[in-house]
Amino acid sequence: MSLIEAIKRANQPGPPEDSIRLRAAAASAVLVGVAACSAEYELARSTALLAAALIIAGMVFSYVTRARPPGYIKLLAAVGAVSLLVWFVHALSGGAITDITTVENPLTILFVGIQVVHSFHVPSRRDLVFTIAGAAGLMALAAAQSIDMTFVVYAVPWLVLTLWALVELWRSTSGGARVSTRATVGAVGGVCAATLVVFLLLPAPSVAVRIDFVSRPGSGGPVPVPGALAGDSGRVSQLARPGTPAGPSRVGGYLGFAKRLDTALRGSLGDTLVMRVRAQLPSYWIGETFDRWDGQNWISTLPATHPVRGGSPFFLPLPPGDIPEGQPNLQTFYIASSSPDLVFHADRAQEVWFPANSLFTGVDGTIVSPIGLGSGAVYTVQSYVDNPTPAELRLAGGGGGDTAPGRHGYTALPYAYPRVAALAASVTAGATNTYDKVQALINWIGSHTRYSTDIPPLPAGADTVNEFLFGTRVGFCEQISTSLAVMLRTLGIPAREAVGYVPDSYNPVTDLYEVRAKDAHSWVQVWFPGYGWQSFDPTAAVPQANPSPGGTALKDVGHALGRIPAVPVGVGAGAMAGVAVLTRWRRSRPPTWAEAVAREMDRAGRRCGRVRKPSETLVEYARALDEVRAGNDEGWRPLAVRVSGAVYGPADVPLRAQNEMVLAARQLRASSRAFGHSKHIGPPG
Amino acid sequence: MRPARPLTPFLVSVLVLLVWWAVAHNSGSGWVQAIGDVVFGMLVIGTLGPAVALVRVRVELVHAPADTTADMPVTVRLSTSTRARVCPLEPAGPAVMIGPRTGNTADEDVTLIPDRRGVHEHIVVEVATAAPFGLQWWARRVAIPLAAPLHIAPRMGEPGALPRLPDEQTGHDGAVLAAHAGETRGVRDYRAGDRRRRVHWPATAHAGRLMVREMEAPPAGSLRLQVSLPHDSEAAERAAENALATAVAALDRGMRVEMSTDEAAGPVTEAVGDRRTAGRRLARAVAAGDGPHA
Repeated sequence: MSLIEAIKRANQPGPPEDSIRLRAAAASAVLVGVAACSAEYELARSTALLAAALIIAGMVFSYVTRARPPGYIKLLAAVGAVSLLVWFVHALSGGAITDITTVENPLTILFVGIQVVHSFHVPSRRDLVFTIAGAAGLMALAAAQSIDMTFVVYAVPWLVLTLWALVELWRSTSGGARVSTRATVGAVGGVCAATLVVFLLLPAPSVAVRIDFVSRPGSGGPVPVPGALAGDSGRVSQLARPGTPAGPSRVGGYLGFAKRLDTALRGSLGDTLVMRVRAQLPSYWIGETFDRWDGQNWISTLPATHPVRGGSPFFLPLPPGDIPEGQPNLQTFYIASSSPDLVFHADRAQEVWFPANSLFTGVDGTIVSPIGLGSGAVYTVQSYVDNPTPAELRLAGGGGGDTAPGRHGYTALPYAYPRVAALAASVTAGATNTYDKVQALINWIGSHTRYSTDIPPLPAGADTVNEFLFGTRVGFCEQISTSLAVMLRTLGIPAREAVGYVPDSYNPVTDLYEVRAKDAHSWVQVWFPGYGWQSFDPTAAVPQANPSPGGTALKDVGHALGRIPAVPVGVGAGAMAGVAVLTRWRRSRPPTWAEAVAREMDRAGRRCGRVRKPSETLVEYARALDEVRAGNDEGWRPLAVRVSGAVYGPADVPLRAQNEMVLAARQLRASSRAFGHSKHIGPPG
Repeated sequence: MRPARPLTPFLVSVLVLLVWWAVAHNSGSGWVQAIGDVVFGMLVIGTLGPAVALVRVRVELVHAPADTTADMPVTVRLSTSTRARVCPLEPAGPAVMIGPRTGNTADEDVTLIPDRRGVHEHIVVEVATAAPFGLQWWARRVAIPLAAPLHIAPRMGEPGALPRLPDEQTGHDGAVLAAHAGETRGVRDYRAGDRRRRVHWPATAHAGRLMVREMEAPPAGSLRLQVSLPHDSEAAERAAENALATAVAALDRGMRVEMSTDEAAGPVTEAVGDRRTAGRRLARAVAAGDGPHA
C-alpha cells in the first residue's frame, strides 16, 4: 500500500455514529477539560465559556449532519486547525519563553481551538475517540499547573465521563450490548487497580527542564525597607521583630525568621500550610543564618544588603570561599500563606527566578526579597548542592577556625564555657578530624538528651546551653542545635545556626512537598575547608533519598487504615459480606423444584464425568447416568420419568410429591458421590 | 485466544505512557503523571479486559438444520452469554454481533455459507469481544456441537447420460399408454385420442363431461449409480456434484436409483428415494480407499 493510499484510507469517513450517549459523554469530558484549564488560569473564563458553547453547538451540528456531513465542513476544519497551529508558532516566536506558562497558555488555546473546530466534524465513532483523547490532553495541560488536591474536582468528573464514554463506545460498537452493573464495576475497578499499580511503580517526576521556572508575585506588596526582614507576622508592611512570649503571632508561630533568634522562646507551631515545594532533591530549605551567640540569642550581624539587579533570572554571587560545584537541585516554591520576605532555598543557590526587579543577598547566602511573599507567590531557585562523603569530609581538615570566611565570629563565644568545653573535649577525645568530632558530639547529644517542645522557661540570666546540657537535657531543635554549635566553637570549629524549613509531608499525587509551620527548623552548619558550609542536624535525621510516590502513598494508606475504628468497620463489612453471600445464595437457588432435581442430576453427572449435552432431555440424561450406575435398580431414569410426567402433565404436583422427588434426587446424588470416585466415564463423542 | 492485532495496542499504550511521562517530567507535575496513570490504566483495561471478558463468553446452539447444500446460505440460531461478535469458520459465514442487548433476547441467527459438501458434527466459530471499552478486539475459536449432524450436499453438477426410455424410442405415439398399464392414479378430462375403454363413467356422470382414467406410468427402469470419488478434494467435489445431478435427473424421471458410495464406515449401497437422501449420501461419501477397509 502506497503512502497516498494509506492516507486516503485513513481519511475515509467511518459509518455515522448514532449513539447520542456516546456523543454526550465525549463532549462532556471535553467540557470538563476546558473548565479545568480555565480553573488553572491557562484559559480566560470568557474564552472558556465561548469554547464550551461552540463545542456544544458543534456536537449538535455533527450529530444532525452525521449521515451526510457537508463537504465544506471538513475543509473548514482543516483550515481552522492549520490556522491555529500557525498562530501557536507565531505566539511562541513573538517573545522569550520565560516560564512554562508562556508556552502552556498558547498551547491550551491551541488544544481547545482544535477541539472546537473538530467538534463540528464528528460524524463517526472514530472521530469521537479523537474527542475522548483530546479531553485527556486538555486535562494534562490543566494538571501541569495544578499544585494542590483541589484538582480532584475536575479529575474525578473527567474520569467518570471518560469511562462512561468508553463503555458507550463498546455499546455502540456491539450494537447495543447490555453492560451489566457487575461488568461496569469490574471495569472501573480494573482501571483503578491498573492506575494504582503504575502510580506505585513509577518514580516521581522531578523538574528537569529549565522551561518550568515559574515566578509570580502573589498577593504581597513592597516591604517598607528594601533588604530588611519583614512579613514574619503575616503582614508585609511590618518589619520582622524578635520574638517575645506575648508578642504578635508569627506565620505558623515560628519566631526565628528575624534578625534575632531567642532560644528561650518557643512559638506555638501550627499546622498552617506555609508553602508547597517542587524539588528535584529533598533539602533543608534555608532562610537565614546566625553568626553571633550571646548566651540566649542568636544574632545575625551579616545583613543581606547586597542588591542583585537585572531582573529574573538573578545570578547570585557565590559566598566567599564557597564551592560552586555540586548536584543541581531545582526548586519551585509556591507560597500558600503570607511568609517572611526570606527567599528560602537549598544550599548554594546560584540562580533565582523571582517576580521582582532586584534581590538582596548577604555574604552568608541569605536571600531577601524586596516584596512581600503573599499567598500565590511563586519563585524558582537553582541550587547546586554539594554532598561530600564522610571520607571526604574527614580528609577536609582538622578544624582550622581561621579558614572560615568572614570574621572570626564563627568561633566566637560570649564567654569561656569551661564546662561545655570540657564536655566537648572529653566527647571528642578520640576524634582526629572535624567530621568525627561533629559526629561524636551529635551521637552524644542523641544519647544524652531528649526532644520536647514542652520545656520550662529559661531562668532569668541563665545560659541556654548550660541549662540544656547540664540541667534538664530536654529541649527542641534550637536548644539542641545551639548546644552543638557552642560545643563546636569551644573546640575552635567554625559553626553557625541556620533556620528554615525541612521537607516533611510529601504529596505523591501533586509531587509537591507540603511545608507547614511545624516544619520550621533550626540546625547547624559547620565549615569544612574545600567544601564550605555543611549542614548537620543533631535533632532529627534528614531523609536522604528521593521519596517514591508508591512508598509514600502506601505509608499514608497504612496510617489511614490504622486510624479506622476496627470494630464498627469490621462489623459493618462483615454484615455487608453476609448480605452479599446470602443474596448470592438466594439467587443461585433453583427457582422450581423440577430445576432443583435437574441440578442435582447435573451435579451427579459432573462428578462422574458425564456432562449433560444441550440436546439431551432429562430422561435421556438420566438413562446415560444410569449406565454409569449399572446394576443399581433405583437409578435416575425412574425419577426423571416421574419428574417429566409431573412437569408436563396436566395435573398440579402436590408439594409433598415435589419434596419427595427433590429428596430422592439428593439421595441419588449423594450415593453417586462414592460411586463416582470409583467409576468414571468420559463424555460421549 | 489472541488479540486481533496484538502489536498495535501494546505500542499505543507504551507510546501514550512515554509521551505522558515526558510531559510529566517537563512540567514536574505529579498531577500530570496521575492523569497519565489513569489513561494508561484505561488503555490496559481496554486492551486486556476483552481477554477476561472473552473467557466468560459462553456460546450455545439453539437451533440448527440438518441439511443444506454447498453455496446455499443456511442459518443456525446461537445464543451467547454476553454480546460478542461471532464469525463462522467451519462452515464459513459472515460475522455478526449476537448476544444480549437491552430489550432483546440473546438468541440470534448466524448465517453459514458452506463452500463444499461434507458432514459437520459441530460448527466452529470465532468469538470475539472488545468489552468493556471497545478499544481492542480479542478472539477465540469455539467448536459448538450440533444436536444432529449437518449434512452439506454437493452443488448440482452436470448429470450423466441416462438410459433412453421406450417412449423416447417410439416417438410421440409412445406417450399414449396402454390402458392396462399401471394402476389408476386419478381422472382427467377427455382429450382427443383417448381410448374409449379409459372413460371413467362414474366421474363423467358426476362432472357432466367426459372423464378418463389417468394411469400410473410404467416403471421407468432403475439406475445403479456407482460413485467413486477421487482423492483430490476438488475433483471429488466435482464428481459428487455430477453424481447428485445424475441421481436427481434419474429420480425426476421416476427411475429407481441405487447409489453405491464409500463412506467413513465402509462401502454403502442403498436405494435413494429422493433428492435429500441422495444429497446426504454424497455429503458422507469419501474417496475410495479412505474408508476403514482400505
